[in-house]
Amino acid sequence: MADRMIVGIPESHATDPLSDALGQMARDGAALLHAFLSARGLTLVIAPAARGAPEEMVLGPGPFSRPTRAGHQLFWGIEHTLPPIVWHHASRRRPVRGRGLHLMPLGPVRGDVSESLAYQLVVLGDEIHQVRLRAGYKRRHVAEAMTGADVSAALQVAERVTGTSRVAHALAFSLAVEQALGIGVSAADQEARVVLAELERITSHVGDLALLAASTGTVAAAADWFRLKETLLRFQAALTGHRYLMGVVGPGGHRRPLSRELSALPALLAAVRAQVDAVASALDVTNSYLDRLHGAGRLPESPDGGVYWTGFVGKSAGLMRDTRWDAPYAAYGALTAGLAPVSVNRPDAYGRAWVRLGEVRQSLQMLSRVMDFRSPVETAAPPERQGGDRGVGYGMVEAPRGRLCYRLAVHAGRVRAASLTTPSQLNWPAVPLALEQRNILQDFPIIDASFSLAVSALDL
Amino acid sequence: MFYRRWLMHYLKRPVVTSFPGQVDPAAPARAPLEPAAHPLFRQSLTLRQVDGGSCNGCEAEIQLLASPVYDLSRFGFALSPSPRHADLLLVTGVITEAMVPVIRTAYDAMPEPRLVVAVGACATEDGGGFHGMPGVVGRLDGVVPVAVRIPGCPPSPNDLLAGLLAAVGRPARTAEAR
Repeated sequence: MADRMIVGIPESHATDPLSDALGQMARDGAALLHAFLSARGLTLVIAPAARGAPEEMVLGPGPFSRPTRAGHQLFWGIEHTLPPIVWHHASRRRPVRGRGLHLMPLGPVRGDVSESLAYQLVVLGDEIHQVRLRAGYKRRHVAEAMTGADVSAALQVAERVTGTSRVAHALAFSLAVEQALGIGVSAADQEARVVLAELERITSHVGDLALLAASTGTVAAAADWFRLKETLLRFQAALTGHRYLMGVVGPGGHRRPLSRELSALPALLAAVRAQVDAVASALDVTNSYLDRLHGAGRLPESPDGGVYWTGFVGKSAGLMRDTRWDAPYAAYGALTAGLAPVSVNRPDAYGRAWVRLGEVRQSLQMLSRVMDFRSPVETAAPPERQGGDRGVGYGMVEAPRGRLCYRLAVHAGRVRAASLTTPSQLNWPAVPLALEQRNILQDFPIIDASFSLAVSALDL
Repeated sequence: MFYRRWLMHYLKRPVVTSFPGQVDPAAPARAPLEPAAHPLFRQSLTLRQVDGGSCNGCEAEIQLLASPVYDLSRFGFALSPSPRHADLLLVTGVITEAMVPVIRTAYDAMPEPRLVVAVGACATEDGGGFHGMPGVVGRLDGVVPVAVRIPGCPPSPNDLLAGLLAAVGRPARTAEAR
């Protein structure tokens, strides 16, 4: 357990090697892909600013690797606990004290339908002064479950890390295995991967926008977005036999071919685009929706240049980081030509919704492109195993919520070591920071929905 | 701006699936669930969901139950923010040890009579590949009494509705029966 302990956003450590490294990365325009702790110390995996292979930077033992009691780990300021849940455990963040402040516990059973995570809100009247997150209720030990399993069993575990981004996890896993063993993938399979990944992104974003609309009380728009999501899920079921595209992507190609329904994709894209435009243009003039989003949950300027934020959280803070452009995989190298990541310097709930809406439109455009230069409808035969039998590989993809990175050591058909960094891990620390910026309790569900992060990908 | 679109929805045919009269071809066929022999509830039912270590897949499908396509309120079902107002507890996920006391507390807070439904492959079968991991119990049986199990990874909203109707002794009609 202790070997998975990572600490970030140190508060007052000018000489902290981690702070120095992250600050240097921010100045260079590099991005943090992945971090893991081993006997050597903390290893940071860095994507350079220019396109290129990831680099590893090893920081020796230091304050970030301070051993904690068994069952406790500090992760980017979020405290992980295992049972029994300790409410007054010393945190690196200084507690706020004063007259009239009180602590409002929320969770782990919270909201209407939600994942298990406990918030501790320190409030003065309606105003939120400090937010602490208690994670660790639903740790399933994902990396440990993969370690020692054969590749196909480990892939099934990877697909169950986050239920709404199964393609992204399967693809990152497959890329890591392919790099480790030197397996090639056919061009048709590369394009099919893009189709699946972009479909998943559209479905995930539309579902997020539905929940955001529901949180502002705009039920008509929420119903429209949900209906659109269901349309997409049904198409995905017809295409692959699974509503969330499970069991399709695998190392070397596809475990299951796509069905002939793929020929219906252009018609679906046109229908989805029309519906997205209709709902988005109606929301654009709905003041009750816009008023709740503008300025809500504004992320503060971070001293390290936002080196962590990824996905739409980073893009709404003006960062132009997207794995599809930074380190192209599958068929993205040709697809992204002439396009740029959707980015805006507006780190509030509205900006995050705006980026997701832009990404939905961009994904529709990419899907149209890939259907244009795609010749055969069906994908290729079962994967051919060629290449070596051992090696270490990285797999990096842009999941719907941001950059997802797998690092796998494979030997004789088995996963010998596995570690992964999910976008939710990188972005969850932004939620307390955004909530503490003079927001009131009534904004809490909206800000929570505007991030729409997965707890299952935080409690790995 | 939405009023015009609401009106159009009223003028055109509704978008709600006529489940359970219509079998959804997108939903995988499963063995029919047996209705409860002595149902505790017949009419309205309030649901509360608790995540016992899921991947968010079951939650995504449960959220769709309230969408217009499935509209669980047609059957008298509603989602509740609190277990104290709930008749039925939907539990998802692999069931971690940290969540066992939480699930028990939620169950104890519910008024009698009450029902528990285990949702998804993780809660009903072998813990979805996480069996034997530290802190993972693996199944809901033994934590709280389970009335109905809805398998699937994740179960589709149609499966969920069929399971909920079975829990209240109202079996889902099939296309053949109609």
